[in-house]
Amino acid sequence: MAGRVIVITSGKGGVGKTTTSANIGTALAKLGNKVVLIDTDIGLRNLDLLLGLENRIVYTIVDVVEERCKLKQALVKDKKNPNLALLAAAQTRDKSSVTAEQLKDICEELKKKNDFILVDCPAGIEQGFQNAVAGASEAIVVTTPEMSAVRDADRIIGLLEAKEEIESYKLLLNRVRPKLIEQNDMMSVEDVTEILSTDLIGVIPEDTGIITSTNKGEPIVNDETALAGKAYRNVAHRIMGEDIPLLDLNQKESIIDKIKNFFTKGKV
Amino acid sequence: MKDIFANLYNKVVSFFHQTDEKTSNTKDAACNRLKLVLMQDRTNLTPAIMDRMRRELIELLSKYMELDRELLDLNFEHEDDQMALMLSIPVIRAKNEDEINEILAKEDEERKKIEELSKSDDEEETDEETEDTEEETSESETEESEDTEDDNTDESESEEEDNSEDETESDEEDLEEEDDDDDDDEVDEEIDNDPTKTKKEKKKEKFFKKKKESEESSEQ
Repeated sequence: MAGRVIVITSGKGGVGKTTTSANIGTALAKLGNKVVLIDTDIGLRNLDLLLGLENRIVYTIVDVVEERCKLKQALVKDKKNPNLALLAAAQTRDKSSVTAEQLKDICEELKKKNDFILVDCPAGIEQGFQNAVAGASEAIVVTTPEMSAVRDADRIIGLLEAKEEIESYKLLLNRVRPKLIEQNDMMSVEDVTEILSTDLIGVIPEDTGIITSTNKGEPIVNDETALAGKAYRNVAHRIMGEDIPLLDLNQKESIIDKIKNFFTKGKV
Repeated sequence: MKDIFANLYNKVVSFFHQTDEKTSNTKDAACNRLKLVLMQDRTNLTPAIMDRMRRELIELLSKYMELDRELLDLNFEHEDDQMALMLSIPVIRAKNEDEINEILAKEDEERKKIEELSKSDDEEETDEETEDTEEETSESETEESEDTEDDNTDESESEEEDNSEDETESDEEDLEEEDDDDDDDEVDEEIDNDPTKTKKEKKKEKFFKKKKESEESSEQ
């Protein structure tokens, strides 16, 4: 088995790299793939929180590199899905604790026994980014329909294009707000893809469910009703090569949904 | 009670405000600003240089036709590896032949004047320069014993450059008609150089990247 190594990157911070990694990873695992998530944001680790695995981490990627444990020992299995594992970042170290070459070796090793290795990249274009990209042959560039995020994505795309080991990269447009687009107060999906001239892998709507799911430590793809969860599941299908049309984000709530939401909101 | 009325008033005002705002959409502003800033990011052209390029383009083109300067749109579009400069300016009116010839004749006259002025300056300058180079050579000769060989080669190279410049200048003086052609060639060269610039930069980046990687691997 030769797995695919995909780096999830964005340049700008706070656009949803870690959320995307957690959700795509979980969705791919739910589809029966063996998946390893690598958090390369050493010093600022968060992927463990989004997966609800923060209390189970014994060894980190730095322990693996410094040979205090075997790679297998450092992989933390997901609570629900045995197909999904996390290689956590160290919280008390910095980006220089792991080199690009070491990360490449780890990816090569994990490739042998897994279908997908998703590398959650830190923000920025410095060494942390260079390391995260080193072992990957594909990339997902996460951006939002905001000027600063798109500008940074453009920079990242330029850097990815210069890397020979990156064979393909796709754009994931996150936190899209259809109502604002309708009012002409937010760049549309077409605007962003045209400006960046990059193919889309998915469009994720802004969803308050992301906050609550993070609070619970459970990726939103596990919530069958959430629109963002559905959008992430579609991304997972597309990564596996299926041709699935983009979600219609202008879905209007049905009357039944409205009544349901009315009652559930009252509870929350 | 006051609060309630104030609230109501605010709500009514904001309602009307909203309908006003609908006509002005911020999305187009975002798109346009972003396109501009990305153009600068991708090409390393600063706003000041872009502005100058825009001005010079207008100046050049308005010799031949009357243009709506306000609506000039300068953009870079890129497909795959290729980048293209897209320029669109509404033409108000095509100029007739006489007008164009008049402008060109005027320009030629001005150019000649400038050349004559600069020629007289040049003659003085070239004299000084030759003196300078002579001094330099004498200096370098004295320094030869102290300096390393590398420095000497550098200096001799720069001298060669100086000499070649002098030669071209003297050519220009001899043949004024050919001079114009030379200028056009120079413009062509400048345009030719622009697209290669980005390619060169790309190559440079790749080169440095490889260098970095090899350094990293050697460290380990």
